[in-house]
Amino acid sequence: MLSLDRFTRFFHFLAQFFPPDFSWSYVSLLGQPILETLGIAAAGIFLAMLLAFPISIVIGARMPGSQALYAVLAAIRSIPDLTLAIFCVIIVGIGPGAGLATIVIYYGAAMAKVFGEIFRAADPRPLEALRATGASRISLAAFGLVPLKLADVFSFGVYEIECAVRASVIVGAVAAGGIGTELVGELNAFDYRRVATLVVVLLILMVLVDRYCRLVRRHPIAVLALPPAGIVSMFFFWPKLFAGRHAVETFARMWPPHLNAAELHDLPSLILQTLGMAAGGTMLACIFALIASPAAAKGIAPGFIVFITRRLFEILRAIPEIVWGLLFVTFAGIGPGAGVIALGLHSTGVLGKLFAESLENVPPDPIHALRATGASRLAVAAFGNLPLAAGPNLVYGLFRFEWNMRAATVLGIIGAGGIGQALYNAQQMFFYPQMLAYLLVTCGMVGVFDIVGTQLRKRYRVSWVAVE
Amino acid sequence: MLRLQDVTVRYTRQGPAVLDRLSLNARAGECVALVGPSGSGKTTLLRSINSTVAIESGEVWVGDAHASRARGRALREIRSRIAFIAQKHDLVDRLKVYQNVIAGALGRWSTAHALRFLAWPKAAEVDEAREALDSVSLAHKLRNRTTELSGGEQQRVAIARALVQHPLVILADEPVASLDPETAAQVLDLLCNLARSRSITLVCSLHQPEFARRYFDRMVKIEKGHAVPVAAIFWAAESPRRTAQVPC
Repeated sequence: MLSLDRFTRFFHFLAQFFPPDFSWSYVSLLGQPILETLGIAAAGIFLAMLLAFPISIVIGARMPGSQALYAVLAAIRSIPDLTLAIFCVIIVGIGPGAGLATIVIYYGAAMAKVFGEIFRAADPRPLEALRATGASRISLAAFGLVPLKLADVFSFGVYEIECAVRASVIVGAVAAGGIGTELVGELNAFDYRRVATLVVVLLILMVLVDRYCRLVRRHPIAVLALPPAGIVSMFFFWPKLFAGRHAVETFARMWPPHLNAAELHDLPSLILQTLGMAAGGTMLACIFALIASPAAAKGIAPGFIVFITRRLFEILRAIPEIVWGLLFVTFAGIGPGAGVIALGLHSTGVLGKLFAESLENVPPDPIHALRATGASRLAVAAFGNLPLAAGPNLVYGLFRFEWNMRAATVLGIIGAGGIGQALYNAQQMFFYPQMLAYLLVTCGMVGVFDIVGTQLRKRYRVSWVAVE
Repeated sequence: MLRLQDVTVRYTRQGPAVLDRLSLNARAGECVALVGPSGSGKTTLLRSINSTVAIESGEVWVGDAHASRARGRALREIRSRIAFIAQKHDLVDRLKVYQNVIAGALGRWSTAHALRFLAWPKAAEVDEAREALDSVSLAHKLRNRTTELSGGEQQRVAIARALVQHPLVILADEPVASLDPETAAQVLDLLCNLARSRSITLVCSLHQPEFARRYFDRMVKIEKGHAVPVAAIFWAAESPRRTAQVPC
């Protein structure tokens, strides 16, 4: 009876989303938020790239101070993006400007760090040869590092365009305007039909961005559309305000970080909750993706099934964790359960695609040999593709766990529990020393797994591009 | 047992014929070596026999089955009786040795059977793998990881997998090209003896004529898309003369 009751409730909840509100009076209002989201993303990623490139060369060429710089970048990257957005709101006030600042800082740091790592992984032999000619570090970078690794850097940069659009939706949820703000507003107003409209808009947007990124990968010249778009958007969304003194005062009140006895007592369980949310979501996604990925791999499943499964993964991937979270918190109520489902659904989209690709990219000879025995497609997949792809898939799963830990803290902010929720509550109640303490704990957690992840990456030589 | 009649293969519609009305017959238990320069069509010939290359015209008969006509399930059935051994890299290196060997049975097993075996292998099935490994003297490596084996051992595992297929025909595409001469000799000796004792037709492409001469019943040279029989006696007579022409 209980499960039936749940089922009817779920059905009623879903029914509230239909039909999406496609009335002209509403759709015509969405032009501005869409432009805001895209503009913030374009300007943000453009500025972030400008910032990241020189920094990454400093790191890649191991110039003096590069270790410290790397540590700073890693620290910035370990701050949950929504918390960073809140800080930016403190500094530049509420509005798209704060969103732009968040994207620039977060993605600037992320790209500089990753570009730096890519440069550091460059083949040392040609660099040695250059160094032997007596070249300076700068010319070493210009003639050695950059040409050697430009393709990898470009590929990761393109990947980050997609992430930046998704992030500019996410930061909108806190402050900054765009579709995210709109989405939170409609959710708070319980107008689910409009929420459905926004989700559809988001899907279309993400698919278009995905197509653009594919175009850029095929014809790199298409990337030239980005700087003009970025520069124009910069004029519109440049922060109108710089509350320097207010910011200094606010940040000063956070120091020193402090937790009282009760909060300290709760801390381990909060950490465990966040870890559990990340582990649960990753596990769920791994199971779904493992089952579904053969259906998305060419050569294993028939073409039309591959097509359908891929679109399904695309939908799961296009909707950010936090939007899944917002939907499920509304339905399932506050708690880590909603977080696990949210992480699970989004990660299924990501891992499903990665798993399918690694199933396709196994060495072809053993597969031909199996096929030549007259084995069926599924038997070939089970004896060939699956074991051959097991290594990369395991690494993908572990990396996704690292990513999901950061995402789990962000989900805490919308009420999914864990350390993220404690962080957000402290911020809401202006308990600034507590807020800083929780933030430092979060950064520590993310940092530890970042280091573990980097080591794994090195050992298994998995490229960055595939992982994030 | 194996009969090719006027087989023609082109890779592009207007392109040159890689195999041009090629005919070849081989009895059960006969060991045929294919020789000829690289690019002469040896691999194409082998692959046209198990229909992994589409033939434009002509007929391929394996046993009493018309292989070049078969599609779908019938093709899979024929393929399950044709074993293919490649130069290297055709084992799934993450599987255990016995799993790689039993993969030879996938053609006659249902998909459900194949999946069940991975999760829960039955003793009789493992015994079948052990028996096949025993005939290549590798039974003691049954549960090793495939990556732990040397190149020669891996090639013997591939032979064991071929035996599990209960094949009518074994096609071997330069099976010893990546092995050192001593190991290569052992592998070829083993392969030919197994084929003779089990009445399997062996068609094997080779680079080294001296191996062909030593272990095989006859040699066929692929030249301009045709199969040119080479009488062993000519080849044997020819080669010393050729070496003599090289100034020392």
